[in-house]
Amino acid sequence: MNRKITRRSALITGGAIAAAGVFAPSIARAADPINVGSLTPNTGGGGPFGPKITSAHKRVVDLVNSEGGVLGTTINLFQENSETNPETAVRAADKLINVNKVVGILGTWSSSVTLGIMPKCQEAGVIQMCTSSSADIPVRDEKGYVFNFQALSPVWGRAIARLALRRGFKTFNLMALNNDFTRSMMDGFTEIVGKDKLLQDSFYYNGGQSSYRSEVTQLIEKNPEAVFIPSYVTDFTSVYKEIFRQGYEGQVITVSISTGEKFKEAIGDAANGIIHGLPVPPIKSPAYAEYVTETGLEPTDGVQHPFGTAGRDQMSVLLLAIEKAGSAEADKVSKAIWDVTTGDGKETVYNVTDGLKAIRAGKEINYSGASSSVEFDKEGMVLGRDFQLAEIKDGKDVVIERLEF
Amino acid sequence: MSAYLISMATFVGFFMILALALNLQWGMTGMVNFGIAGFYALGAYTSGLLSVKLGWPVGITIAMSCVTGLIAGGLVALLSMRLREDYLAIVTLGFGEIVRLIALNEDQITEGPRGLKIDARPFADMFDRETYPLVYLALVAAAVAVVFVIVECIRRSPMGRTLRAIREDDVVAEVLGKNVLRHRVQVFALGGAFMGLAGALYAHYVQNISPEVFMPMVAIFIWMSVIVGGAGNNWGLLLGAGVVMTILEGSRFLGDFIDFLDAEQLSAIRIIVIGVLLIAILRVRPRGLIPEPKFSFAASSTEQGRQPSTENAK
Repeated sequence: MNRKITRRSALITGGAIAAAGVFAPSIARAADPINVGSLTPNTGGGGPFGPKITSAHKRVVDLVNSEGGVLGTTINLFQENSETNPETAVRAADKLINVNKVVGILGTWSSSVTLGIMPKCQEAGVIQMCTSSSADIPVRDEKGYVFNFQALSPVWGRAIARLALRRGFKTFNLMALNNDFTRSMMDGFTEIVGKDKLLQDSFYYNGGQSSYRSEVTQLIEKNPEAVFIPSYVTDFTSVYKEIFRQGYEGQVITVSISTGEKFKEAIGDAANGIIHGLPVPPIKSPAYAEYVTETGLEPTDGVQHPFGTAGRDQMSVLLLAIEKAGSAEADKVSKAIWDVTTGDGKETVYNVTDGLKAIRAGKEINYSGASSSVEFDKEGMVLGRDFQLAEIKDGKDVVIERLEF
Repeated sequence: MSAYLISMATFVGFFMILALALNLQWGMTGMVNFGIAGFYALGAYTSGLLSVKLGWPVGITIAMSCVTGLIAGGLVALLSMRLREDYLAIVTLGFGEIVRLIALNEDQITEGPRGLKIDARPFADMFDRETYPLVYLALVAAAVAVVFVIVECIRRSPMGRTLRAIREDDVVAEVLGKNVLRHRVQVFALGGAFMGLAGALYAHYVQNISPEVFMPMVAIFIWMSVIVGGAGNNWGLLLGAGVVMTILEGSRFLGDFIDFLDAEQLSAIRIIVIGVLLIAILRVRPRGLIPEPKFSFAASSTEQGRQPSTENAK
């Protein structure tokens, strides 16, 4: 290594790199197709769900392209990984907006990511479709560009609480991962069961710890009949191990996103008896049946891919709305999203192919999806998803109750 | 595309300020700081909160971020006056986590995990939406320039020589009558102020900060910038920050050209590529892209050691 790098040669190299950056990806902005961005949590806390969302996005785009596209042009899909981290997601969104010139960014999952990229999306006039549950999302969406395909988290909390009360539990203790999603869920739960049923004040724990010993000790100290722990799978695994180790005999209730395959693998038999709930696709819906076929899943009683189904609906709704609006401008598309999803007396369609045909035939349509019937309130939040409570028995989820809307 | 490059250049600017600050603390003085994310968060939240909650003008809130960073840096250095190397690393890592956890848990002040939405932006009324990103880039570039001039002046001054002496062997420096503690506190406080400045500029740029932004990963990116660029050499860091960001962001474009892999595989490959490139750079240039020049008496009396030397330092 005798060659020396002087400041001058370094500057030249740096300049060359920068120049290469300017000229190389101009391929991305050739032609004039419609560009759509997918920003999903393929790694990090949302890792178990992101890939299913983004592959659902891709399936819909491939299908529509094979049938001639939308507005006579093909759809280009750009897929990025948010890493479930708002710091990275902001830069990924920047690339989607400014380089790929996308109409919409679909598939954000964590609320902090959805909120983190919101200022940029609002400024650039980019539609956002997410499955995030923070109650702040409608508040911060000043331009009406955000559509949420997930029930807000207080709704989760209330539904789980109702189902838990029906099972006859009398006393509860609560602790939640300290993030917006899980905190507002805890509030929803408390609202339904009532403060008097709580043996002590509910509290939050910080994620990413190596041990949750003191938190768990505090949680089960007064031996409540049931504990409710809204969490992510990354921390719930350690939390549950600790609960088991300390010999708690009451009922553990959590959200289904914490008890996926990886959790069951890590915990084994000790996972039996955990009750968990989440908003689910309408299992009898033709759209859900189509989703199961498209993904090649084995049909079961329980609900599979709660977020993947939302991915299918996000992309379908966006493309239908673009066709309906006759343009890819954010203002027109966001209005058209209501037209194609919400309202009575329209023709119900369960997939994008039928929807596009109906729109081209001049009909009014109402898309009913695999994740829900996809009706939005005036703030762009999805109304009424079904809710399911399941129990783990022999390493499998057994549905014990379902609330249908 | 150009909007994207402008935006990335702005992010590189934040990295550069942080890297210059870290170089002052570690590259020149040998004080390990793993709490960069904490100082960054402190600056971001100070400016964000003062502007959102108290409605102070942005110019003043950004200045206040520097002051907060300065005080925090000084305090951390004083607290850990007897600690060196690994122990200081632990204290600073702890400091970073403390700041993040306070931001997360004191939600009546910081809005906690919901994140803080910041509307105020410097000079926002004076420019339209098209030119504003360029204005912001210019602002960040000016901040980088100011910080660079300050640290470069320190490096060339007698104080810079003292700092290097402390880095190499603080006992010798002490024996020679240098006030080691004072220098350490000064340097750590000044570095903290620069990090606070970077945080404030970041907050008003992205306009939405939440505790999850300030994970220890941020510190790792900055350490990578300093190590890749060449510890001790301020020019090297500017290059290092650019190279690290180019690797982090450039790897995103893989996905636009490789269509036979699905998104999940690409995400994993991208992270692997980042690691491999960084290892490759360090394998080829173990002392960084532009290593610190060897200090020699002749050079110091003529050009004050600016010319890189072919000999190895140390």
